[in-house]
Amino acid sequence: MFHLEYDVMVVGGGIAGQETALNLADMGFKVIIIEKEASIGGKMILLSKVFPTLDCASCIATPKMSETMRHENIEVLSYSEVMSIERIDKKFKVKILKKPKYVREDLCTGCQECEANCPVNVEDQFNFGLVGRRAAYIPFSTAIPKTAVIDIENCVLCGVCERVCPANAIDFTQEPETYTLKVKAVVLATGFNLFPARKKPQYGFGKFPNVMDAMEMDRLLSPTRPYNAVVRPLDGKIPENIAYVLCTGSRDITAGNPICSQICCMYSIKQAQLLMGALPLADITIYYIDIRAFGKGFEEFYQQAKDMGVQFVKGKVAKIEEIKETGNLIVRYEDIEGSGGVKEAEHDLVVLSVGMLSNPEAAGMFKFETLELDEFNYVKQVDPLLNPAKTNLKGVFAAGTATGPKDIPDSILSAGAASAEVAAYIRSIK
Amino acid sequence: MKRRIGVYICHCGGNISDYVDVKKVREAVKDEEGVFLAKTTVFACSDSSQKEIIADIQENNLDGIVVASCSPKLHLHTFRSVAERAGLNPYEYVQVNIREQDSWAHSDNPEKATEKAIRLIRAGIKRAIEAKPLTPNEIPVINGVAVIGGGAAGMRAAIELSDTGLNVYLIEKEHFLGGRIPQWGELFETNERGEVLIERLYKEIVKRNNIKIFTGAEVESFSGCVGNFELGVRIKPRFVKRDFNCKDYEKILKECPVEVEDEFNFGLTKRKAIYKSYEKAFPEIPAIDKENCTRCGICEKLCPESFDFNQKEEKLNLRVGAVILTTGFSPYEPKEGEFGYGKFNSVLTLQQFRRLMELSNGELSYNSKKIKNIAFIYCVGSRQKDGENKYCSRYCCTAAIHTSLLLKEKYNDIKSYHLFRDIRTYGKQEILYRDSCKNGDIYLKFDESNPPIVEKNGVDVSVKIKDILTDGEEIEIIPDLVVLVTGMIPRENGGLEKIFKVPVGRDKFFSEIHPKLRPVETVINGVYIAGTGQGPKNLTETILSSLSSVAKAYSLLSSGTLKLEPIVAIIDEEKCEWCGNCDEVCVYDAIEKKSENGKEVAVINEALCKGCGSCVPVCESRAIEIKGYTNKEILGMIDGILKEVNR
Amino acid sequence: MANIYEKDEMTERIEETYSPKILVFSTNSISDPGIDLAGLLKMHYPPSAYTISVPCSSGINPDWIIYALEKGFDGIFIAADGSDCPYREDCSELTAKIVLKAQEKAKEKGIDPSRIKMAAVCSVCAESFVNHMKKFSETLIKLKNNKE
Repeated sequence: MFHLEYDVMVVGGGIAGQETALNLADMGFKVIIIEKEASIGGKMILLSKVFPTLDCASCIATPKMSETMRHENIEVLSYSEVMSIERIDKKFKVKILKKPKYVREDLCTGCQECEANCPVNVEDQFNFGLVGRRAAYIPFSTAIPKTAVIDIENCVLCGVCERVCPANAIDFTQEPETYTLKVKAVVLATGFNLFPARKKPQYGFGKFPNVMDAMEMDRLLSPTRPYNAVVRPLDGKIPENIAYVLCTGSRDITAGNPICSQICCMYSIKQAQLLMGALPLADITIYYIDIRAFGKGFEEFYQQAKDMGVQFVKGKVAKIEEIKETGNLIVRYEDIEGSGGVKEAEHDLVVLSVGMLSNPEAAGMFKFETLELDEFNYVKQVDPLLNPAKTNLKGVFAAGTATGPKDIPDSILSAGAASAEVAAYIRSIK
Repeated sequence: MKRRIGVYICHCGGNISDYVDVKKVREAVKDEEGVFLAKTTVFACSDSSQKEIIADIQENNLDGIVVASCSPKLHLHTFRSVAERAGLNPYEYVQVNIREQDSWAHSDNPEKATEKAIRLIRAGIKRAIEAKPLTPNEIPVINGVAVIGGGAAGMRAAIELSDTGLNVYLIEKEHFLGGRIPQWGELFETNERGEVLIERLYKEIVKRNNIKIFTGAEVESFSGCVGNFELGVRIKPRFVKRDFNCKDYEKILKECPVEVEDEFNFGLTKRKAIYKSYEKAFPEIPAIDKENCTRCGICEKLCPESFDFNQKEEKLNLRVGAVILTTGFSPYEPKEGEFGYGKFNSVLTLQQFRRLMELSNGELSYNSKKIKNIAFIYCVGSRQKDGENKYCSRYCCTAAIHTSLLLKEKYNDIKSYHLFRDIRTYGKQEILYRDSCKNGDIYLKFDESNPPIVEKNGVDVSVKIKDILTDGEEIEIIPDLVVLVTGMIPRENGGLEKIFKVPVGRDKFFSEIHPKLRPVETVINGVYIAGTGQGPKNLTETILSSLSSVAKAYSLLSSGTLKLEPIVAIIDEEKCEWCGNCDEVCVYDAIEKKSENGKEVAVINEALCKGCGSCVPVCESRAIEIKGYTNKEILGMIDGILKEVNR
Repeated sequence: MANIYEKDEMTERIEETYSPKILVFSTNSISDPGIDLAGLLKMHYPPSAYTISVPCSSGINPDWIIYALEKGFDGIFIAADGSDCPYREDCSELTAKIVLKAQEKAKEKGIDPSRIKMAAVCSVCAESFVNHMKKFSETLIKLKNNKE
């Protein structure tokens, strides 16, 4: 199946991990990607369209995923986790745990018969709980590898999938497997966590049905969307007056995250533009502190949204309350630009523009040495100005949002930088 | 021979099928001549669909494939590789664009959009019938990269290229390396000083013997093709010998009679005709500025061994496999009178102010006045509503705030007023903004339609702002200095975009092919862009793009050979009567005259031919075609579109 | 997007039954992306415009143009590279020569030469392309109208 020695191990199969792996593979290095989910793709593949070009995310991400999967120099281990990384001389010994999918990947054709017949219904993590999925399921329609996986925790062991599978791919006897690999360099492309909107209880997420987070909205707008429409969670009504609350959990010391997440202004403006297209009659108001449209083409994109009629209100939202009868929401905000003071506005849907939090799990992988993190728990860049991918551990590099908030273009550039640094490093240890 | 073509019509989720009746389209094309099977698919590009297409090709011995989906710009290569993996020639694949040029463009008229899809696909089928397998030419590539621009981006790229084993030519227009970074003093986010950082890079460069530095050098010509470029470089004389070792340099500096504006200090000081851009500039020998030197001979008299006024302009040709353009930025120069610039003495740009800080010893003063209050006006030359620069310059908010933090640290008693539109300290830079607020810096917000007014107030200058944060109240500040936080514009590069034929955007920065898919690549294969020449960036982001371009250049050249697009001209020697028209029109010297069977005919040099087709319409005997765009293919497509569609 | 020109009543009536078939020759790296952009921005133009993309507009064979007109296209629109051409600086001049040549040939065959049109369409010129298509379509309707 796969070898036990590689030049580079990339941890994480999101857009940064794929880009790093593809660059290195094109240079002739042998690369293995370790992805903890059942499909590579990370967060980007779940998005609708991406700013500022409004390309559909799938259209950019799917070919990259499929190129990653079939590149002769890349091996992908999905549903797998790094248990430990130990330095031995100039190399690393890595222990990998491959979780059982209870489906034989070599046989499964992704026909989804098991999914159609599975009686279990649980929350779909790839749709952020907007809809349900089965216990036997394919992660999402553009998943790679597009093979089924059985969520054993929720499986009732009824055996239906086993009976209906035309390829005889279901295998309940699978056990977790561990592998030991040898690699010369490690790239941490472990991505970020979304800020959990529940950590801002004053906004009522999880309590008021018509308060959703922006990732849920992106799912509603995406081509692989769950309802094929943008509707209010409470009653399926088409929203007419939508509010965005920027900086939900960013630039916010009380929420434990003092830094700016760098993406929320722009993705909110993007969603607003998409909503204007999908719901031409809807009013959209964006409550902001500063609009941070800083990248190439971003300011123009922001001005375009203004010209389309998106309302921008400079104000920090203090509290959101629900009107019981209608499910509409009262947004209470400090009005900075108008006459000042605290104001209220009614909206029938509120989207919380949640930010990024670090994913520090890479720090737990190293044996006998410590991976340094910065004060925000991102992987620390020891020479951010000249060697941006370098970490405190020799031979260990970082790409994408592992080192701090980044949008997709910046993640891709950082992946490019990491691959160049890794290439030079491997040559230097030869 | 009856053809066996497979046709796939993509829903693209709903991007196509919401407007185009894909089932109807399938019905209308499935019985076309040559079509063996026709299918619809939700995402043709998905891995499972790709696998399905491969299985179809292999099981049914298909000999041509048509996928009707999005623009070929996105997926032509995806499906060519599908064809290849199934054992077909990649050029036996035809992409039909029914999304950008159909379902989306005609989302107002689904019926017509459906008809258009049918016609376009029929054209695609005709093309697939006529398409011939083509094989790419494999050519050797040159192990060498030219990096144009010796600032931080170029220097960093040079080091990394060298470490991957490539030979590097680092070409800098000025006599000194380093670009803008040494002008800056302490840099966000490590507070390392600009000139120290450049020294760090320079020391690494000179360690490596596969990097050649050319200063005072400009590219004046560019030819060849990816993997085998030729650059013509012109090198200005420095008049200073390489082994410059003059003990009287200080004296020369004193005695040189020429004084010109010092561009390194943005005109705040003067320099001599013999100069170093700054004291520790690299290379470490001075240069004589040819334009301003009066040839008085004082320097030569003092140190005869160190000068050579007979040096002439040199020209040399470099052969390289790839080029990286790192031509950098210049600060926006405010117009005369823009926020009082050029009109009032106490109005400076941020870049000038940073030089002033560097030049100051002990206390900060300007025009012998001690500075206590500073008003920073943001977005000067950026986010212009009426002006040309619509873009945000990205680095300036942080740069200005970082500057005010440094002021606090160095002089404690200076008060900073920040007159801003939006504070864009994205990511971790937010901490600087927080610190600045903690320091007691004052932030006043203005609207683009109501910018601050800088005017004379007695001996002082006053700045009036309608501050949005205090309900539009007009506030007047009497600062000792007004600092205009000016943005970035692309640095003057002597028309490199014309020499390299690399397009620039509306913002005049170099255009990448795609910000996400190919952010450092240009439409000229093998020519990459990095750093602030591509768009405003801070130093970290500059280095990210610089290293990314190295990754791409190394991928291109690492194997030593390169496969070229086989889309080139082809000559029917029987028809050719050698009129010479093709040779005359070709700008790539790809056509040669050859005697063949007693007559003169044209032959194509496939390594030079770019496949533009300019030779096709000028050929009197209709003997030239472009592979992949032959008469049969084009006329077939026309027939395909025109065939009646049943309603 | 507002209409930049007013339609007269006659044209509107004809348009219901007749929409002229336009063959657009675009170029792979410049005008085709511009036309793609029109779609991306959901700008609408007559759906009876069909595109064939070639490497460079200086490589369009006048024979193709005549063939298309004789076989049933009402108009030919060359979306030229203009000054953005990645192949050559004089692309516009060469393309203009091709158009002239094709127009002469058309005249010889009794085809109205104004059925062949050329304009530069850059890689972001979505709006100008859409306007060209609307206008050219109008012109072709009027041509037909005058004839009948």
